Amino acid sequence: MPSTTRFGSRHRSAALVATAALLAAGVAGCGSSDASTAAASSPSVSASASTTAGVVGIRDPWVKAADKGMTAAFGTLVNDADTDVTITGASTEASPMELHEMTMKDGKMVMQAKPGGIVIKAKSTHVLEPGGDHLMLMDVKRPVQAGDELSFTLTFADGRTQTFSAVAKPFTGAQESYAPGHGANPTPGMSMSPAS
Amino acid sequence: MKHSMTVPSSRPRAVRLGAAALAALVVLLIPATPAWAHNSLRSASPTPDAILPSAPTEVMLEFMQRLDPAFTTIVLTDSAKRRISTGDPVVAGVKSTVQVTGTLPNGTYRVGYRVVAADGDPVQGSYPFTVADPSASAAPSGDGATGQDASSSTTAAVEPGGGPGVGLLVGGGTLAALSVVAAGLLWRRTARRRP
Amino acid sequence: MSQVPAPRPVSRRGLLTGGALAAGGALAGVAGVTVIGDQQAEDRADSLTGAVPVAAVGTTVEPFHGPRQAGVATDPQAHASFVALALRPDVDRAAAGRMLRLLTDDAARLTQGQPALADTEAELGLLPARLTVTFGFGPGLYRAAGVDDRRPASVADLPSFRIDRLQPAWCGGDLLLQICADDPITVAHAQRVLIKDSRPFATVRWVQQGFRRSPGVEPDGRTQRNLFGQLDGTANPLPGTPMDAAVWVPDGPAWLRDSTTLVVRRISMNLETWDLLGRPDRELASGRRLDTGAPLTGTAEHDEPDFAATDADGLTVIPDFSHLTRAHVTDDRQRILRRPYNYDGAPTAEGHADSGLIFTSYQADIARQFLPIQRRLAERDLLNEWTTPIGSAVFAIPPGCPSDGWIGEQVLG
Repeated sequence: MPSTTRFGSRHRSAALVATAALLAAGVAGCGSSDASTAAASSPSVSASASTTAGVVGIRDPWVKAADKGMTAAFGTLVNDADTDVTITGASTEASPMELHEMTMKDGKMVMQAKPGGIVIKAKSTHVLEPGGDHLMLMDVKRPVQAGDELSFTLTFADGRTQTFSAVAKPFTGAQESYAPGHGANPTPGMSMSPAS
Repeated sequence: MKHSMTVPSSRPRAVRLGAAALAALVVLLIPATPAWAHNSLRSASPTPDAILPSAPTEVMLEFMQRLDPAFTTIVLTDSAKRRISTGDPVVAGVKSTVQVTGTLPNGTYRVGYRVVAADGDPVQGSYPFTVADPSASAAPSGDGATGQDASSSTTAAVEPGGGPGVGLLVGGGTLAALSVVAAGLLWRRTARRRP
Repeated sequence: MSQVPAPRPVSRRGLLTGGALAAGGALAGVAGVTVIGDQQAEDRADSLTGAVPVAAVGTTVEPFHGPRQAGVATDPQAHASFVALALRPDVDRAAAGRMLRLLTDDAARLTQGQPALADTEAELGLLPARLTVTFGFGPGLYRAAGVDDRRPASVADLPSFRIDRLQPAWCGGDLLLQICADDPITVAHAQRVLIKDSRPFATVRWVQQGFRRSPGVEPDGRTQRNLFGQLDGTANPLPGTPMDAAVWVPDGPAWLRDSTTLVVRRISMNLETWDLLGRPDRELASGRRLDTGAPLTGTAEHDEPDFAATDADGLTVIPDFSHLTRAHVTDDRQRILRRPYNYDGAPTAEGHADSGLIFTSYQADIARQFLPIQRRLAERDLLNEWTTPIGSAVFAIPPGCPSDGWIGEQVLG
């Protein structure tokens, strides 16, 4: 198994270092510091890069844009350490959050809170993706618009926390109906477990 | 609209073959300049190969099709290929005329033309004429005799072929007539072949 | 291809052949979409390479970040899609900035052979084939963002020309995405990704897709042919100082320096009437020989034309109505950089072609460079007999961006 802590392309390494430093300092927005943007947040290309300076590396984080209701954040969690790491909670200003998984129940894919949190095995990666584990935003207070940058804080089992930022992408893939009745054509057979 | 047809399709095959044979004959007899260069030139003044007793004051060319005024060029050069000054071409329908403003001593001249028909097809070619004013010196330089306007109103059916050698090579009137027929049948095909 | 700056092979070949960098990581790095694990990714990588080395065409990368945008001085790729977007009415400066950050991120990844963030077809992002994505701003973007004072003065609707038969469906646009690569699947995927991320902000106004010779078909550096069979682009300024003088704005505020402008015109070419022309007449119309592209007074493509030379008829060898004569400029500052692509739509039932040229002209200043040439051509270029402009659009090509920036930050920031 090759190491997953590196990126496939060398050209991003400088951006990674910069991002890592920023993330380690708990700065949500990063990059493009010389551009005073109109937006409150200042997402940039490197915002979606990862770090190994925190508890875990977070590669290519993003959040699905949503005007209201439910949505979710995704990314690839990288654990370089020799021991397993467990995420027990996530939070953001935009919405209450839960850690969710998709699982087969009675022949149906259902979304439910992930018991015991999200475990990232030692020297391993864990992918958060539509159709799999994800960081659930239960009820966004204001629209999460495409291109917005949201700041998230992960809480680990040992009490440590880590902050990262994720850019909002317009995404219609996989047709998870995180906000029933809001999206188009919810996938048949996919249903939500009772929320909270 | 376009001259895509080489021969009207209603024409009997034998006639077409005959025309082709004649064309081959004429081509053999006229090896120098391309034979069909100004077949879309219907008439001209001075007439091609004319020997004029006095210098013309204008050159008038008449074509088979309406001309696009934006693309009409007529140039006059002497035997040393020096430009003789002319006015700008005036285009009216199928005709274009330039006034000759320079002087034409006795000698041989060439009318070069490059025109574009209204449908966009460029046509270019040239023909010679000679000024032989008996009252002028044989080898003039400087003021030529620009005598009376002897030819400006005369137009004639343009002869086939066009190089200076044509008249010599096509000696017999019969052959000339045959080549007229052949040219008439085939001019459409080859009118624009001249480089 | 003779690229300047030289593109480099993407590191993927190294990845796929078991280098220290992880192909699995690259694939799994597509957050949220890649359902395969690292080992699977590695297996897939192996199957991609197999016994046959990955062709250099597929893995070659053009730089994305830099002071100037790629896709202008870049040696033209074989395939192109020009996507003109119309901003939705509610898009303001902040929204335009969000859109451009998203699209910049997509472009930065895809051009380097990485899938876009949340790429639903991640595997299609792995072979960049010299992909470039070039952003152009139409006048409407400056208006929408309230930054019309940062619009290069010459980026405005062109005057109408006598020869124009413009169709609104091929005109205008607020944001242009010029997507070029040596592979059509790469272009299609990039177009899909970029349009998906633009949808909250814009609608598609028009898309023009075109092609040139494929890489390897003929030696590098050849001028391409259009569908009239003519060599097209011979008079382009040479890379280096001449091209710099013609294309790039050398100074000014940050939003202007290292920018250029683009005129896109869709030129319908009437192959039916062109067919009626003999070869000599075709050469008279263009002023160049069809085979070599040499001016009618020369023997080689790049011979300097002699417009004064006359033939035995006393006529200029190169007609004054030829395209060469009318388009000719000698001062580099007045040249335009042409980067044309052919288009070839479906013929009619009667077999009549729908063919033409996506004419693209890059220049520092449209008014100084493009317009004088275009006026001369519109006035008296015999090629107009067989060509008809049916689309027209103008864009500013803003400066490039560093790796932590985004395209348009100098304009909208």
